[in-house]
Amino acid sequence: MTRINRDAVVAIVLLLFCGVMFWASFEIRQPDYGVLMPSTWPRIIIGLMAFLSCIYLVQSLRLTKDLGDADPSSPSAPSGGGFGGWFRHWRNPIYCFALFFGYLASMPYLGMLLSGISFVFLLCTVLGGWDGKKPLIHLAIAVIAVGGMWSLFTYGLGVLLPSGALFDNL
Amino acid sequence: MIMENVGLAFGEILHLKTLAFMMVGVAAGLMAGAIPGFTIAMAVVLTLPFTFGMPATQGLATMVSVLVGGLSGGLMAGILTGIPGTPSSVATTFDGHPMAKKGRPGLALGIGVWSSFAGGTISAVLLVTLAPQLARIGLEFQPWDYFMLVMFALTITASLAGKHLVKGLIAGALGLFVRTIGEDEAVGMARFDFGTEALLQGFDFIAVLIGLFAFSQLLTDVRDPVNAHRSLAERSDAKVRIEHMGAIREIAKRWTIVLRSSLIGVFTGILPGAGGSVANILAYDQAKKASKHPEKFGTGIPDGIIAPESSNNAVEGGALIVLMALGIPGDVTTAVMLGALLIHDVIPSPTFIAEEPVLAYSIFIAFFMANFMMLGMQSVMLRVFVLVTRVRMYMLASIILGFCAIGVFAINNVLLDVWTLLWFGILGLTMRHFGFPLAPMILGVVLGNIAELNLARAMAITTDISPFFLRPWAMFFCIVAFFSAAFPVFQEHRGTKVWTLFYMPLACFATSVPLFLMGGIPRPVLACILIALGAWTLWKRWRSGWTLPKAEGPLLVEG
Repeated sequence: MTRINRDAVVAIVLLLFCGVMFWASFEIRQPDYGVLMPSTWPRIIIGLMAFLSCIYLVQSLRLTKDLGDADPSSPSAPSGGGFGGWFRHWRNPIYCFALFFGYLASMPYLGMLLSGISFVFLLCTVLGGWDGKKPLIHLAIAVIAVGGMWSLFTYGLGVLLPSGALFDNL
Repeated sequence: MIMENVGLAFGEILHLKTLAFMMVGVAAGLMAGAIPGFTIAMAVVLTLPFTFGMPATQGLATMVSVLVGGLSGGLMAGILTGIPGTPSSVATTFDGHPMAKKGRPGLALGIGVWSSFAGGTISAVLLVTLAPQLARIGLEFQPWDYFMLVMFALTITASLAGKHLVKGLIAGALGLFVRTIGEDEAVGMARFDFGTEALLQGFDFIAVLIGLFAFSQLLTDVRDPVNAHRSLAERSDAKVRIEHMGAIREIAKRWTIVLRSSLIGVFTGILPGAGGSVANILAYDQAKKASKHPEKFGTGIPDGIIAPESSNNAVEGGALIVLMALGIPGDVTTAVMLGALLIHDVIPSPTFIAEEPVLAYSIFIAFFMANFMMLGMQSVMLRVFVLVTRVRMYMLASIILGFCAIGVFAINNVLLDVWTLLWFGILGLTMRHFGFPLAPMILGVVLGNIAELNLARAMAITTDISPFFLRPWAMFFCIVAFFSAAFPVFQEHRGTKVWTLFYMPLACFATSVPLFLMGGIPRPVLACILIALGAWTLWKRWRSGWTLPKAEGPLLVEG
């Protein structure tokens, strides 16, 4: 997919988003008082966003027509290769998101400290590699960084961070 | 009265604990600014959770210190490695790095540090003197004017996206929309909750900011596996010593550049959206144009370091003037500062300085003192910088992602906020990938409530919408918003389309109308000056045979 076509797709997605949100704005209950209804301001924004998305769509379609093919200025487009190429291009952010997701999912059970250390260790290791002494260095970094931050918030700033169901039961 | 408030504010700041936090803040800012990929805004955003537990003065002084440190940190990486630490120090590398390569890295760093100090101090003086005056003007604003001011801020920020103006405006609208999700603040009705408890509470805007900005920036930094493994160590010199005396002598000889560049910085900071990334290039360009030896720029001359470094440090003074006086943030960093004020139950507005003089003057003094701290700490942090540059980018990113989660959780002690961080991190990365600027969205998120509140107030007074366009201040913001939105198109077509001949004169004439309507003496005088300027521009066009040279020099585009 060329960048220009991609812009058109983004514009269509934005228009669909505006449509869904405009429809959802009818679900907002209207009180009997007040001059500005709770749905008015969101509808103004959605209307504006839909209008701008239409301009964006027209611009992208006109550019497609004018240039014919891909925009070489595309900053970070995957260089082909189907799903494999796409995955290689986005591998690191996908790992980050997946591990962060796991971090949040495990937090209620493992607590902020343990899940945080695991997250930083795993992310460092996944992004930096397993070879040699790296896992040990990554573990030390994770323990010192997250442990230090956890101590600062818990003891220094008096913030109660989740201790985790696992430790609560012990 | 002012002296009494200043005295009380000094008492608040000159507290050992506050000073210690400020020192740490300056050090953290210097470090964040020095590491390419970590922006000043990110440093300020990440500092926010640490300040929750502090009293307002202490928390805000810490954040101001991070800001000042960050503004000066970029020069270390720029001069020693040739890679600007932040977009605000791009122009510093043009002459700073060549001077370092010529064997004078200590002098280059010294000039950079002392220019930053001079720029910061000049802007601090202007902040203290101009903010209360601007606040007096702000007292004239009615809800219609405030609403249009927010629209103006969003439009001008979006216009800095250059060719991608529409994307900038969409991002701004998306930011405004995000803020409407959850319970309506005015009447308490649920909006776009889709029956879920999580959405009913709305998104915590600090979590949104950190997700959109910091999270997505970190992922952008490690996206490329080669970049993720890279460190700067092999390109930085560990044995550098800052040459203070030599630098002071060089700067003293070029005090006009310092003054002009600082004023450019303050003015750029006052303009919503135009931050240090624009100011440093503008100041460099002006210094080059005014120089007797423009051909020497880029070869490693002091003028090329003084101009960008004094201007980028002066920017935040200008941005703080608008924030403190009107309660409207001009860029991402001041948007976060606004968030910090709101967290401490302080609502910046034209009455803020009058109602909370001690806190307001504490912020002024913190800004002033942080510049001195920055000066003292640069030498120490230079050594730390050399150590930090040995750390691989993926390690830094992993650690900071871990910090983000802890910091965001600490805002409300709610896990949902950390999920918000994740979702908006994904959104931020997607927006970056598709070329949508994030600054308008962030301003939209921060200003969304202010816009809606003032719209509601205006409609409660009268349902007539004409005051949004006909009241002098509202008309002024409307006209300036229109011309700022059209500016990228003007820049693109300058000299090639007939209408561009009349853009500047028309802007001057149109802006003079609301100034005349405001009455009094100074504003109509200013309007007359604008009309004269417009007429003079038209005359110049006529003299040149109705031609206009194509755009030259730096384009006003977000860095």
